[in-house]
This record gives sequence, structure tokens and C-alpha cells, in this order.
Amino acid sequence: MRWLAVPAALCLFAQGAAADTFRFTAIPDENQSRLIERFSKVADYLETRLDVEVEYVPVKSYGASVSAFRNDQVQLAWFGGLSGVQARRLVPGSVALAQGSEDAEFKSYLIAHRSTGLEHAETLPEAIRDMSLTFGSRTSTSGRLMPEHYLRQRFDAAPDELFSRVGFSGDHSRTIALVEAGTWELGAVNFSVWDAAVADGRVDTDKVDVIWETPPYPDYNWTVRGDVDARFGEGFTDRVRAALLEMDDPELLASFPREGFIPADNALYAPIEDVAEELGLLR
Amino acid sequence: MTPPELTRDAARPGWLSGQSTGLRLARHTLTLVALAVLLVPFADLAVVTRDPWGELARMASGLAWPAWGAVESPLEALGLTVAVALWGTLGGLLFGFPLALLFARSRLVRTGCAFVRAIHELFWALLFLQVFGLSAATALMALAIPYAGIFAKVFAEILEQIPGAPREALPPGVSRLSRFVYAELPLAWTRFAAYTRYRFECALRASVLLGFVGLPTLGFQLETAFREGRYHEAGALLWLFYLLIASLPWWGHRQLLPLLMIGGAFLLAPWPEVSTSLLWRFVSQDIWPPALLAGDWKGLIDWLARVPELGAAIGNTLLLGLLGSVGALLVALALWPLACRHFGNAATRLAGRGLLLFLRSTPELMLAFLFLLLLGPSLLPAWLALSLHNGALIAFLVARHADAITPGMPDASGVGRFAYELLPRVYPGMLALLYYRAEVILRETAILGMLGVATLGYYIDANFEYLLFDVAFFLLLVTALLNIAVDALSRRLRPREAAVIDDPCQR
Repeated sequence: MRWLAVPAALCLFAQGAAADTFRFTAIPDENQSRLIERFSKVADYLETRLDVEVEYVPVKSYGASVSAFRNDQVQLAWFGGLSGVQARRLVPGSVALAQGSEDAEFKSYLIAHRSTGLEHAETLPEAIRDMSLTFGSRTSTSGRLMPEHYLRQRFDAAPDELFSRVGFSGDHSRTIALVEAGTWELGAVNFSVWDAAVADGRVDTDKVDVIWETPPYPDYNWTVRGDVDARFGEGFTDRVRAALLEMDDPELLASFPREGFIPADNALYAPIEDVAEELGLLR
Repeated sequence: MTPPELTRDAARPGWLSGQSTGLRLARHTLTLVALAVLLVPFADLAVVTRDPWGELARMASGLAWPAWGAVESPLEALGLTVAVALWGTLGGLLFGFPLALLFARSRLVRTGCAFVRAIHELFWALLFLQVFGLSAATALMALAIPYAGIFAKVFAEILEQIPGAPREALPPGVSRLSRFVYAELPLAWTRFAAYTRYRFECALRASVLLGFVGLPTLGFQLETAFREGRYHEAGALLWLFYLLIASLPWWGHRQLLPLLMIGGAFLLAPWPEVSTSLLWRFVSQDIWPPALLAGDWKGLIDWLARVPELGAAIGNTLLLGLLGSVGALLVALALWPLACRHFGNAATRLAGRGLLLFLRSTPELMLAFLFLLLLGPSLLPAWLALSLHNGALIAFLVARHADAITPGMPDASGVGRFAYELLPRVYPGMLALLYYRAEVILRETAILGMLGVATLGYYIDANFEYLLFDVAFFLLLVTALLNIAVDALSRRLRPREAAVIDDPCQR
């Protein structure tokens, strides 16, 4: 793994756009193994489509990807719903280009350990009051933001008033593992991570199962900085958008993991922005 | 822990009265334990166990059958871990050594060093990450800055403890520099070297931790694999790290040092160019409340009102720090004989050393996760993880200290040797180590936020994630002041005997 000469971007700019490398980052919502190997293939694909040098920058958290985007250490990023909003606020002019075909109607599941005796229901049951609940990462849209929003809407109370104990497991896979072990009674989890875990037999549905699902909301998105046209040539943004929308190699798409990409724009994420403001995660 | 014969003639034969060193230390220890017991009811120690065994079995099988092939470029990750630790230590040495010479004379230097020591390496890394990105600069500064503070303090104490006779034998009028080079440095040199070696092992552990925030050391893949439940891959990475630490005496040799340094420098390259505009934006805007910069006092009060509840967070931090320290003392007392040459046989010692290596090298966060599964979410997993990790570290150092002692009663049985000969001799050192470690334990309470224990560090971590750097920075300042206050208090309260140990290099 190479150290990333990332803050050099500004200096490179001063030396002339020809020397510029177009950098991007992406955090898949599950299976972050062999990130470099997998996303270097995406970088190769973008390189052939964009005629500039493209490099993948591995990051660990949504916070780090937003910081890298803000500091111009990456120019394109695959963000979660909330991190995309954060990034576009911090870098005026940046635009959401595309989202996964699953992301237009994303949802979260509320899962429960069998000892709670809860069954799948259309509305959130009153019985979850005073149980313990774990969210995923603090800034995850599907693991925290939207589930918290719907919980507040239903019960008109903050999670720490509603539940006996509230935690942040840091990751969807870990939320599933911890609720399966009964460490937490309830968990809020990204639907696609759960469905994949069930399909692979990685979760014992006799011990933990879905008891409720949220209404749909928009989630992950590709966002590019507003100044890329000036640096990489007129129409660069459109070329990046076209390259993303036309990505059809299943191997590349599996890294995200998405079926394909569809167009998106900033306005699509206004509901996420409103919820984040309401919860005090944005200011 | 002085033999009872010495106190038999005391005027009042009560079994803890008397003024001998051993009795004073015993009273001190019992007071600490009593304080912890008194405060336990305030800690949240609820136990919830339902079905942890499936997950624990998967973790155990991951450690037993590591998937070596799943690790992406393991050699490069190993190399970077070593390179960051080595150059971070050297950087700390470079800044810390001159500061050590000023340490005794300048309150400013002492306070500054206490301040930089008080902030966890991970939080330094999170700060620098905002400016230098995921670069060698971030990693090296995150280690070098706190280590400079630590080197300054420990080196100053070593210099204080060297014999004064050679210094006094010099003719009057000898310059400060000559006095230092000819009468002080040679006496302190071996201790400096020994301490630097120990700090390097700490740096290796910290270097792995830096991977947890995204720097490409071993910790990068280790954290992801562990978090996502790919335990066979995590097992392989953990084994790599254990082997790295266990083999340190062979590859960390003085003669190999230049080679490691050059190789490390090559791995760390290219050095990133620092963008001064980013740096300036960060120090002049990002870390200050917007209302303060605008001169809006009413806005500042609103800002303060939204800062997380400090009282509870400070309370939790101190409580966990105290319980963790006392727990570490008890663990160290129980474990050190396992690795000491005066007890057991070759096989038990090998097992004992293995156990200590396992406990001190496994990142606390992972130990905490194990107990989280077993015992449910509360302060308890954090307490156990801090106690075991730090207790094992103290036990390792105490065992090394005891190994250097030649017993005067060769016929004594194991228990007799433990109680009457070795423990009385190593105990003052053990307490001194504990007081040093207490500072580290207090810092480490910060990184156990995952368990939902609302310490100061929990909120710092949260605010870094929300990109509210002003709140995170404010909480970091509060943490640093708290650590400085605790450090001052513990220096006043700790028994004088515990401040003097045979070998300060073990701290």
C-alpha cells in the first residue's frame, strides 16, 4: 500500500493541470476486504473512460472520506446519504451525479433478538420501549439517521429516552452479530447488508429476525467536486457521470455492491438534509 | 510487604500499623482498593448474557485457523507498522531530549509536556488527518508529539536519579555543556537506551492502532476484518502482530537499526507536501466555535449549551480510570510470577510469557468487544479490558525486573520466595509503574466509546465523526486539563517510596 501524497493536489494544480491525477474514494456498505485490489479495477475502468490518471484512495470512515473530499485530496467519492450531504455543504458547487439503482428506494430494518418475543409488524410495536438498541455507525444514514428519524416520529421521544440503553456498534455486520448474540435486544441495520447476510447463511434467523422496516428514502451517491471541469477540461463532470452510469461490468459493480447506477441530483437528498438538521448532526 | 519480623517489635502490634516502607505501601494499596470498592456502586455494571457462544466460537476458530491468504499485501503493512513506530519514536526522541534538559527548570515545559501527553495518539492522528490527510506526516506526528512529552518527563527523572558525585568532582567553572556531556550523559546513557527500546515496543502497538483511523498499518485491515466478522483474516493479522512483538529482541537489534531506518524511510516516502492554506484554515477556523470567531457572545453561550454534558462524562472517565488502574494492579499482582524465572518450570514460563504477550498486544478495543459479547453493554467490559491489558503490561515489566534479582534465600519455597523475598523488592516499582500507567489508562478510557460508555473520549470521537471539530477540540482541551489535574494529584498522593524504583527504564 502506497502512502498517499494527497495534500499535494493544490501544489500540483499550480504546476499545471496536465500533471493532475483524478482521485476518488469509496466505502462499500459491506465487505471492506481487499479494498485496494477491488477498487483499483474501478480506477482502471475510469481511466480508460476519462483519459486522465485515476487513483483510488482507501479510507476507513465516512468522516475521513468527507474530510478528504473537502480538502481536495479526492475529487470524486461514493458517499452515504448523510456523508454526501455533509460533503456538498462543505464544498459549494459539488454535485451528486449518480446513485445505485437500489439507492432510490433504500430502507433500514429493525431487527430483534428472539428473547424479546417480537414478531414482524407493519407499525413499530409499543413493546420496544425500554429495550436496548444499537445503531450502526454514528453517521450512517441507514444504520442511524433514518431509523432514528422514524423512531422519533412514532414515539415522539429521543432514542435515549425511549430505550434503556443505546449504543453505536460502528458497522452493520457488527450490529447483526451483536443482536444475534443477544448483547443488544434491538438493532437498526441497512437492508441490503441484512439480505446479503441471510442469503449467505451468515446469520441465524432463529435467533434474530426483522421486526419492522422503514419507509423508503434515498441513500448512497456519487458526488464530484464543482471545480473538476476547470481542472480536467470542459465537460469533465458529464464524462464522469456517463462513465458511472454506463458501468456494467458485474465484477466492478459487485464492489459497491450495486446492480447498476442511475442518475441523481442534489435535490434528491433534501429529505436527508432535513432529518440530519433536525437531529443536530448538521449545522 | 516487609517481612513480619521487622514489625514484631513495633510499639503497637496492630497488623497494618508501623512506619516501614512495606506497611506504608500496603496501607496505600488497600486504601486505593477500598476507594474503588466504594465507588463500584456508581458504575454501571449490569450483566446481560444471551447467546454469545456462536460468535465467540467463530472468533476462537479465526484465531486458531488464520487465513493467511486473505490478507492484502501483509509485508507492506508490517513494514509500514515498523517504519511508523521507528520514525515516530525517533521524532519523539529528537524533540523530547532537549526538553528533558529544561524539564526540571521550566514550569512551561512541564505543563506543555503534560498537555501533549494527555491526548491519546489516536486523537492526535484524527487532528492531523484533517490537515495532512492519510499521509506519513499524520502518522509520524501523531506518535512523535505525545512521545516527546513522555521522553522529556522520563529522561528528566533519569537525570535526577543519577549519582551526583562525578558532577561534584568537576572543578568549578566547568560549562553546563561539558558537565552534561562528561558527568551526566555517560551515567544515564544505558537507561536512556533501555527506555527508548521499551518506548519503541509501545510505538509498535500505537502504530497498529493508527490503522484504526485509516493509516495503512496492520491495524487498517485488522480493524475492518474484525468489525465485519471476518475472524480468520483478523486472526492472521493478529498473529502477524504477536510474532512481530515476540521477535522484537531479534530484529530490533542495535546493529540492524540503520538498515531499518533507511528501509522505513523508503516505505514512508513520498513525503506529502503540506498545504499551508489547509493548515491555516484548520487552526484559525475549524477548531474554534463559529460564534467565538464572529464575536457573538450570546451565540457562544448557545454553543456551550449544546456541548455534551460534561459532568457525567468527566465522572465516567474518572471512574473508569480509577477502576481500571486498581484492576490493573490486581491483574499485575496475580500474573507477574507466571513469566518470572524464579517460579515454575520452562513450560509454565513459556505459557505465562505467551499469555502476557497476548494480553498486552491485543488492542484493548478487541478485548473489550470479547467481553461485550460475554457480558453485555456496560462499563464492565471496558473495565476488564483496561485491567487485563495494562495489568499484563505491568506484569511483564515487573517479571523482567524480578528476573534481574538474585534471590538471597535459595532454599525458600515458591510461595515463601514470592511473599518474603521478591514481592517486597519489586512492589515499590510495581506501584510506580501503576502510577505511570494510570495516566495511560485515563487516556485509554477515551477509545472505548464503542461500548457506549459515555466518557469524554466517546464524545470526542462522536464529534470528529460529525465533523464538528470545534466541539471535539474543546473536549480535547477538557480531557487534557483533566489528565494534568489527575497527574498532579497522583504525584502528591503517591507514596514517596513508589517514586523511586531500581530501574526507571521500565516505566
